[in-house]
Amino acid sequence: MAADVASGTSVVEVDGVTRHYPGVRALTDASMTIRGGEIRALLGRNGAGKSTLIRVLSGVERADAGSVVVAGGRLGAGGVRRAAELGVSTVHQELSLVPGLSVAENMYLGRWPRKGGAVDYPAMRAGAAEVFARLGLDIDPGAPVGSLSLALRQLVEISRAVREQPRLLILDEPTSALAAAEVDVVLDAVTRIASAGVAVLYVSHRLEEIRRIAHTATVMRDGRIVDTVEVAAADTAHIVSLMLGETAGAAERPPERKVDRTGVPLLAVRGLAVPPKVLDVSFDVHPGEIVGLGGLMGSGRTEVLRAIAGFGPASSGTISVEGRLISRPSAAVMKRLGVGMTPEDRKDEGIVPLLGVDENLVMSRMDTVSSGPTVRPGRVRRAAERLIERLSIAAASARTPIVNLSGGNQQKAVIGRWLHAGSRILLLDEPTRGVDVQAKAEIYRLVRQLADSGAGIVFVSGELEELPLVCDRVLALRDGRVASELAGPELTTDSVLSAAMAA
Amino acid sequence: MTVIQTAPEQQRRSVGRFAGGRSLNEIGLIAAILVLYVALGSTAAGFLTLDNQLGMLRDAATVGIAAWGVTLVIIAGEIDISIGPAVAFSSVLVAMGAAEWGLGIGPAILLTLLAGTAWGGLAGWLRARFEVPSFIATLGIWSALGGLGLYLTDALPVVLPRSGLFEVLGGDVLGIPTPAIVMVVLFFVFAYIARYTGYGRSVYAIGGNAPAARMAGINLARVRVLLFATTGLLSAVTGVLLAARLGSGNGGAASGLEFDVIAAVVIGGTALAGGRGTMLGTLLGVAFITVIGNGLVLLGVNSFLQNVVRGVIIVVAVLVNVVLSKRARATRET
Repeated sequence: MAADVASGTSVVEVDGVTRHYPGVRALTDASMTIRGGEIRALLGRNGAGKSTLIRVLSGVERADAGSVVVAGGRLGAGGVRRAAELGVSTVHQELSLVPGLSVAENMYLGRWPRKGGAVDYPAMRAGAAEVFARLGLDIDPGAPVGSLSLALRQLVEISRAVREQPRLLILDEPTSALAAAEVDVVLDAVTRIASAGVAVLYVSHRLEEIRRIAHTATVMRDGRIVDTVEVAAADTAHIVSLMLGETAGAAERPPERKVDRTGVPLLAVRGLAVPPKVLDVSFDVHPGEIVGLGGLMGSGRTEVLRAIAGFGPASSGTISVEGRLISRPSAAVMKRLGVGMTPEDRKDEGIVPLLGVDENLVMSRMDTVSSGPTVRPGRVRRAAERLIERLSIAAASARTPIVNLSGGNQQKAVIGRWLHAGSRILLLDEPTRGVDVQAKAEIYRLVRQLADSGAGIVFVSGELEELPLVCDRVLALRDGRVASELAGPELTTDSVLSAAMAA
Repeated sequence: MTVIQTAPEQQRRSVGRFAGGRSLNEIGLIAAILVLYVALGSTAAGFLTLDNQLGMLRDAATVGIAAWGVTLVIIAGEIDISIGPAVAFSSVLVAMGAAEWGLGIGPAILLTLLAGTAWGGLAGWLRARFEVPSFIATLGIWSALGGLGLYLTDALPVVLPRSGLFEVLGGDVLGIPTPAIVMVVLFFVFAYIARYTGYGRSVYAIGGNAPAARMAGINLARVRVLLFATTGLLSAVTGVLLAARLGSGNGGAASGLEFDVIAAVVIGGTALAGGRGTMLGTLLGVAFITVIGNGLVLLGVNSFLQNVVRGVIIVVAVLVNVVLSKRARATRET
């Protein structure tokens, strides 16, 4: 695969690029070249400098020192416009589409073709259809973007970049929100783009994807480019060790925990259905147990949690807490019974960004920090400080606006909110999404501590490989049902993945 | 009379397929207007007479002309509440220009239109350059122009000089009220702008996802200034037509018009959050509240009570719209 690429001429030459922010050396002396037709993976932990490198390449940031040359032209201080002129197209992590406009209009956003002064819809649709045909995609150019699935939106976004005939296409984690089958379509499209001679810089955390499409991989750490390796020749342990900076072994499953499953379960779900995604889901959670719910995007994981927490009404099925059947599980009732749920979208549904960590922690239950109707600031502070200590949340003070905390610490505070409310059943939806490796490990540890103290926990994750690291038992959801249950020695990344993906 | 009908067949199919909630809202409004016509035709004496229908067209123009501009403003995720005082002040300006400052009829009208564009542009500039919320920027215009109109005239009407031009503007052409003709012509202009110009599509893009629009190279500041300059200009047009019809400029005229305009736009299915809305919907919204207003007068409902009834009907209409579009979205996702 790499052979035909090695003969290509270099399209991108980055030489000694440095970019410092006040107090942060975001990028230091970075050099690399990418050839036409080459797919170059860019790897590194959060904060390793990948984003800064991308921002420099796409002209959003100016390099303090060094040079970037694309297809023979110097980027210099020309900014975004110059980068676009040289043929650099970037697909950012956040989707930048307008949901109310059609696919074709989005592909020509701001550069709509005109005919006699009027926006030329037929030309736009034809142009979009032509790009889709080239990439082997089946998307209706007339459909509003708001009606498309996440994967199709991602493809529209990539197609928009391709329409501009780029020399260098930068893709920033294009598959992070997609399920396996959807990923295939994206990867296929990327391969086709590269085979037309475009240099592709592909940022991803998913090694498996990188192995499938990338020829070479550049690894970054602490703002520097550590190494560039041939993907085919490098084994995973080597790449991981380049990323981590020390030889870290593959994550080990923690020692088996003892869970007493003979008593009355803390939470019992029977025949839960939330059409169309969830058809028939049943499971128990015992005190001290961590049950993982695994499955691909769209397998109904979130819907199950929301139904249990009383947010989305289930069309059928029963929920019992400590043996008591709950006839009408509303959010208020479930909260009173000790059910707490942390949402998957931390920014939009989890935190109140500008309020302090303290208020974010106690908002689940005000009466314990009030006398009568009056909230007592002293009690709020003491309650918050206890939780900050217990969960080891890194915050300058209890009053620091929570938005200033890192993702991992925000997540701990969102979990802590339910500890403050005295919840015994914790439903955690993607608690490790968007947090770095260390924060993930801390969240795993926290979850296990909570289980040790008698809580029952349902842990939902789309990163299936993390379920064996934290759960006692994993239920793989597929087609709206529990496809299989894995525990003990048979609970491994492989078994979870294959259970979730098997057709 | 809609722009959608002129679009090619394929486009119509895909729009119909995905925008079920939207066209449902428009069909619902047409049905509601028909029901009102039947009900009022049989209960309100004189409702169906030609005179009354032409009078309604004239009333509709007062709301409609500004509503075309406000539709774009709301689609862009902004709001303009300055319409009422802006119309009143425009009527004062054109009357004083023609009668007291001796500018002549044409220059007085031109001055008024330029002034309207200028104060609208000022509001837009405050929004675009300093991020002053458009509600506040236009609230300032609302208060300042309302006060200025009354101050300049001591709250007395300023009589227009007799002129053929004013007679045509305030009267009719071939039996049809001139303001209604202006309204219809501007409707087609704005429907075209919304659908077939880069500016119009930029308005939708900004209202739907402003960061994405910025990244696509759309000049947000320019669009925002233009939006408010447009509503300023349309307010001035409405003010000139109103002055011509009343024969005087009046600092207290058109009080509360801004709420009729916003109500018409929202009833027409434009989302206050931005990104969604059509000119056709606004046209139907204007027709809806005009018919209700006219019917309440003909039925002899107490004028204070009229406001109560209108308030209830407007909220119910928007409620139905919201419920319908929510249901349409739910069916689309299943």
